[in-house]
Amino acid sequence: MTYPITGAGAVASIGGDLDEVFRSLCEGRSGLAPLRAFDRAQFNAQQLFEIDDRPAEGLDEPGRATRFLLEAVRQAAADAGLPEDLAGIPVLVGTGLRELRSLELWWRDGVPFGADELHFENALRSRFGAVDTHTFAGACSASLYALALAWDLLEQGEAETVIVAGCDVVTESMFGQADRVQFDPPSSVRPFDTERQGTILGEGAAAVVLGRVPAEGRRPRGWLRSVAVNCDAHHQTAPDAAGVRAAVRQAQERAAVTPEEIDLVLLHATGTPLNDRTEATVTAEVFAEARPALTGVKSLTGHTSGSAGLLSLIVALRSLETGVVPPIAGLTDPLPEGAGLNLVSGGPLTGPLRTAQVNSFGFGGVNAVAIVAGAA
Amino acid sequence: MNPVAMTGLSVALPGVDRPRGLLEPVAPDAAPVDPAALIGKKGLRYKDRATRIGLHLAFAALTDAGLLDDGRLRAPGDRIGVVVSSNLGNADTVCRAVETIAKETTSGLSPMDTPNASSNIIASETAIRFGLRGPNLTVCNGAGSGLDAVRWAGLMVRSGRVDHMVVVGVEPDNPVTRRLVGGPVADGGAALVLSRSGETSPARPAKALLAAGTRTAQSGTAPRRPAGTTPGTALRLTDEPDHVPPGEPSLDLTGWGELSGALGVVQCVAAAAWFAAGGAGTAHAVAGGAGVTLLAPGHAS
Repeated sequence: MTYPITGAGAVASIGGDLDEVFRSLCEGRSGLAPLRAFDRAQFNAQQLFEIDDRPAEGLDEPGRATRFLLEAVRQAAADAGLPEDLAGIPVLVGTGLRELRSLELWWRDGVPFGADELHFENALRSRFGAVDTHTFAGACSASLYALALAWDLLEQGEAETVIVAGCDVVTESMFGQADRVQFDPPSSVRPFDTERQGTILGEGAAAVVLGRVPAEGRRPRGWLRSVAVNCDAHHQTAPDAAGVRAAVRQAQERAAVTPEEIDLVLLHATGTPLNDRTEATVTAEVFAEARPALTGVKSLTGHTSGSAGLLSLIVALRSLETGVVPPIAGLTDPLPEGAGLNLVSGGPLTGPLRTAQVNSFGFGGVNAVAIVAGAA
Repeated sequence: MNPVAMTGLSVALPGVDRPRGLLEPVAPDAAPVDPAALIGKKGLRYKDRATRIGLHLAFAALTDAGLLDDGRLRAPGDRIGVVVSSNLGNADTVCRAVETIAKETTSGLSPMDTPNASSNIIASETAIRFGLRGPNLTVCNGAGSGLDAVRWAGLMVRSGRVDHMVVVGVEPDNPVTRRLVGGPVADGGAALVLSRSGETSPARPAKALLAAGTRTAQSGTAPRRPAGTTPGTALRLTDEPDHVPPGEPSLDLTGWGELSGALGVVQCVAAAAWFAAGGAGTAHAVAGGAGVTLLAPGHAS
């Protein structure tokens, strides 16, 4: 089974829509900047990949994750030619940190906030009239997990069209906990490089419209061929090669593709020593003689948490469409486990591409892997 | 459609340690739930309250379904998944952290709190403790969250991703969650196991069958009594009494404080307890905009 992706939308620190994000990735423009709203005196690390949308420098405001979500959904719905009113369409949102940033501002600064604003139901209803809305808090693979559920809804005949989204802003608690254990904060994110020193959080939202059949007279963005989801059941913060390998193999089996048929892999590639080593090892093992192009976006977008998987998927679709693969910015000396892998670095790679794999792994060992194909 | 079966149940609320207790009046001044008494203290250090209660509930429901025996898994771990519903689970960790950072910089934070800053901590800890390698999902969807969790678990069983799903609904009571919901929080919850129809057996009997799930714009739009059924045979589970038709039996399940994300799971466990106690026919659970219909075991499918 395969389902058309009929629309896509994205916002990140490097662009306000899909075109701008993709252009920034190809041109190597980074969203990394000094902290925009957190009190710099309280943190060792001084940089994040924030979206620059706050009304005044140094002042934070609640509801930003919701704002980015609504914008990504609006873009995707418009791209798919859906009406403004989404009443009959389920909207599935994967997020690492929900509106926990607003919760923080409520607790610390007394900003008005209620328990019903932790999730996105009310916002999606008042903006789009959507009533079948769902917020999944699944760490960094949340949006691809939501995509798996959308797949099941279509396959079980419970929906004709589903919107899947991911969104996250940086919370002080998550940034602070990372800061507590990162004594020497990385100056940049360098996925799959020997010199990588860790990840830096980012902000973003992404959305796709998934249908049972393509809209009449409209060419889909691409095709979703499978999504596999599982859990390492191993460790809270460290990835486990066995779980990652099982998710990758399952995604390929469900899509009925061989490693040789995959032309491109969008890596999770966070720039942490352990994730990249594990992912490189599993990738080398699963693909063996096959040599797909490998890339990742986080050196320029930061780790956008729950929205990361879907953002990667949309970039993959754009690469399949254009035949252009953006490089892994900052990668100069590949890690030893990645020797022999076709890591794209230096500049964009061009060539015909048909099928891509998208990796997304999260805290708690929650793994999601999707296979997509180009529209042609 | 082959209905999905509920094969394991558990409940942990002050004064209630078995499903049948949900049918009885709430005991005043009951002692708080003590997870360590059931699953031991080992491994609970540094876990937040919601995670501890969640582990207790998952242990009891998996054991009830015969999937755990003396703490050991009796079925392939990659065919069992976890869905947790909790709106307030890690709110206290998040709020304490932001307060500490303001007062002491990040040097005042405890590294042991890092995993607890992630909202999927209960589900992933459940997977780690019991070796459950199937899909691992956390639903934070407001008042309907518990019923939504049951719906998604049912979907993943029907789609063949798993043979069994343990669904946990849990909320913790603490100063942060109290202030957030404007009153006491239930400090407990319930869990159930959903199994593929082919996975039931005399040793693992169905305790209820999961029928349709719905979502509507209106909070508490209770489904109408199905045509051709006798009044008085369908149980209503809702804390909105306006939506109970006159003369129908109902359970509001209030009295422990705000159940929030745990409500829907507690409702489904109460429905199974109702069937076990001889209640016939059908049960309709409604919470937020979500609705789930359950059938007594043995109900013709």
